[in-house]
Amino acid sequence: MDNLMLLLDGFHTVLTLQNVLVVAIGAILGLVVGAMPGIGSLAGVALLLPLTYKFNPTTAIIMLGSLYYANMYGGSFSAILLNIPGDNPAVMTALDGYPMATQKGRPGQALFTANLSSFIGGTIGMLILTFIGPQLANVGLKFGPAEMTAILLIAMTSISWLVGENPTKGIMITMLGILIACVGMDTLSGSPRYEFGNMWLLGGIPFTPFVIGTVGFSQVMKLMKDRYKVVESEFMNKRLTIKGSMLTRSDVKRLLPPALRSGFLGTFVGVLPGAGATTGAFMGYGVQKAFKNKEPLGTGALEGVAACEAANNAAAAGAFAPLLALGIPGSGTGAVLLGGLLMWGLTPGPLLFQNESEFAWGLIASLFVANIITLAIALMVIPFLIKILTVKVKYMIPCITVICIVGSYSTSNSMYGVLVMFFAGILGYLLYKNEYPTAPMLLAFVLSPLLESSMRKTFIISGGSVSIFFEKPISLVLLICLAAIVATPIVRSIIKWVRQANHKKIHMS
Amino acid sequence: MKKKMLVISMVLCVLMVLVGCGNDDGEKADKASPSEASLTSETSSDSDDAAAWAPSQNVEFIVTSSAGGGSDIFSRTITDIMTKEGLCSETFLVNNKTDGNGEVGRYQVANTKGDKADHTLLSMNSGDCMDMLSNTDNRLENFKTLALMAVDKQLVFVTPDGKYENFNQIIDTVQSGKEVIVGGSKGSDVATFEALLKELNVDGDLLKYIAYDSTSEAITAILGNHIDMVIAKPAASKQYVESESLIPILALSDERFDGNLGEAPTLSELGDYADVQVPVWRSVVAPGEMSDEAAAYWSEALKKVSESDGWISGYLEKNALIGDYMSFEETTAYLEAFQEDYLKTLEE
Repeated sequence: MDNLMLLLDGFHTVLTLQNVLVVAIGAILGLVVGAMPGIGSLAGVALLLPLTYKFNPTTAIIMLGSLYYANMYGGSFSAILLNIPGDNPAVMTALDGYPMATQKGRPGQALFTANLSSFIGGTIGMLILTFIGPQLANVGLKFGPAEMTAILLIAMTSISWLVGENPTKGIMITMLGILIACVGMDTLSGSPRYEFGNMWLLGGIPFTPFVIGTVGFSQVMKLMKDRYKVVESEFMNKRLTIKGSMLTRSDVKRLLPPALRSGFLGTFVGVLPGAGATTGAFMGYGVQKAFKNKEPLGTGALEGVAACEAANNAAAAGAFAPLLALGIPGSGTGAVLLGGLLMWGLTPGPLLFQNESEFAWGLIASLFVANIITLAIALMVIPFLIKILTVKVKYMIPCITVICIVGSYSTSNSMYGVLVMFFAGILGYLLYKNEYPTAPMLLAFVLSPLLESSMRKTFIISGGSVSIFFEKPISLVLLICLAAIVATPIVRSIIKWVRQANHKKIHMS
Repeated sequence: MKKKMLVISMVLCVLMVLVGCGNDDGEKADKASPSEASLTSETSSDSDDAAAWAPSQNVEFIVTSSAGGGSDIFSRTITDIMTKEGLCSETFLVNNKTDGNGEVGRYQVANTKGDKADHTLLSMNSGDCMDMLSNTDNRLENFKTLALMAVDKQLVFVTPDGKYENFNQIIDTVQSGKEVIVGGSKGSDVATFEALLKELNVDGDLLKYIAYDSTSEAITAILGNHIDMVIAKPAASKQYVESESLIPILALSDERFDGNLGEAPTLSELGDYADVQVPVWRSVVAPGEMSDEAAAYWSEALKKVSESDGWISGYLEKNALIGDYMSFEETTAYLEAFQEDYLKTLEE
């Protein structure tokens, strides 16, 4: 109950005219920044951070918090309407969101699903943060290298759900993702890998321009090739009305279970060290694959959109738990926020809640306010947003190209990002033409560096012995889960085979 | 037809990229054009009075870490104070260049020429410098090392519920042939750890180091008791000591720290060892082509920053750093020695 009182005090801090205004500005900026490919939460917060140095710290962090938060909403807009993820976590949203908007002709519903799920996921994350945030952060501490290795191995198995019809191609593309992730400095020994004497490659392949290229720019190329074919879908779009965009009761029924599930899962992923909203979205989608869906995932299923959107917002909220309770950033954006805290003269760490309670609870309260304001704004703009689909392709192509270039330039303020984006775009297009799925590559790209560094740290600690995974209870349980996941299909097919054999025998006799 | 368009668009992409790079080179060549270079040297030889030089265009302050990082805060504090105290009338543009682990930014500054060289500054700390020396051919000779602004030292910490209570126990454990796992961040912490290994005369297979991406990650690991001890700077660890989540057990310095870090002894207090310290420095450097007049101007301006109240109370004290301003000549000598030492350890 104490926490509830403190939260109410937090609302007291936030609900001044100035602060609500700041939350609203942050929310709008976050939506815009989120919808722009490439300028994700990290870049958005980093760009805005210097501007807020002049504010008082509570107002400043409220603004950044709401920006970070609203960003998770905005990312889905461009993913659903253009098949270009606005930010990294929205990569998974595009998988089902875009087909749902175009092939199934339900763009309004797709956007509503995304935003409603974001709201549900975020609210779950914030409630958990309010009541057991510090305790959860302490549970997060229990996840050392061995435990992280085990959980990442489980996450890697979700790749198998994304490979599509041709497993060989799926495996090849996964390997390509791992290979690309290897470029750059070796995180543990600090020695360069695959840099070919090139200074730019020392820093590795930046993820954001790579995603914009493989998913976004390759989409531009597809549009260029098919620009005469689109007449059909324009005809379809003429029938888009606000009334026809609303979610039906059965839609809401389908939306709730994945959103709730992902809300809890996402919060937990957000709390883990080093895993952010992107990992949350990937895992939310992966888990959803294991459940029954009315339509198969990847073909425009509402459940797919709901699962990853809820998960990424919940993870964004969850990431605040270690940040506020322990001063440990759960993600890149968290690290930038942490820098902000230092700049304003606050020392993040275990004493923040004690020494700066007004500030900490103000921030949490501002997340709630931002969540509601963002949902309201998002719902208001959806009817206008879906008109984007009726814009002629010849106008779309140059616009999207410019956005792609700006987005990839802004990740490090240099042409290097743009170069990576173009090459990744060509790669993405070639992969698409040859029917390779790109999702496994992106998942491998995100997870394999984490897996590598966790696994190597584990082996440094254990002196190369594998037994460490079985000695630690958490990693043991996780490994048993992993074994079960891997073995289930094999056991199933064996049982099937045995049954068939028995059946035959009976018939024979 | 469609295919052709596609091929053309692909070629265009590649061309655009190439043109982009070409422009960049052109720009550099432009700046290096002999006429301009000689022009600046002429004007500089005309003016005998060093103080007469003053910035005449926007000043670019390059930072090789992202916004909110340690170097970013360092640089923005300096530019803020310079603007506030009227030390520089021109506008500062803080530019975060993080490509290639910061090497791209450093390379760019090293090769900035002409008038722009007088208006370009770069923040560099010992970790940056070590990365540059071990991974590239770029050397400190390519820079004008304007001023050293602050020095940071580290401590060793353990947790209250961990395996060890003091550093003597750790020494005993290692000497009895058992392993102890050490965590810390990359770069400068590694150098300090290696100096410690050398002084204790133990094998790196027994006292094993795990390099985390940042100090906060290393602290996360020790709070969960996944490692046995951690090397960290005071700014990153003070709060944890105050909340009794971490205990300082060794000061990697030649004297004890102040405040709640004061209980940690130095290595020489523990036995027959010399104190181990590898100071982590933060400096401001400029392109090697910067004119001597401009270098004198900036070095003087940085000195005034280092004496200002905003710097002492607003930056040094807050981050538990040691203020250690060194003039242009002192910094150059100090950093030359640093580079020489480090290159020697790399050869070993």
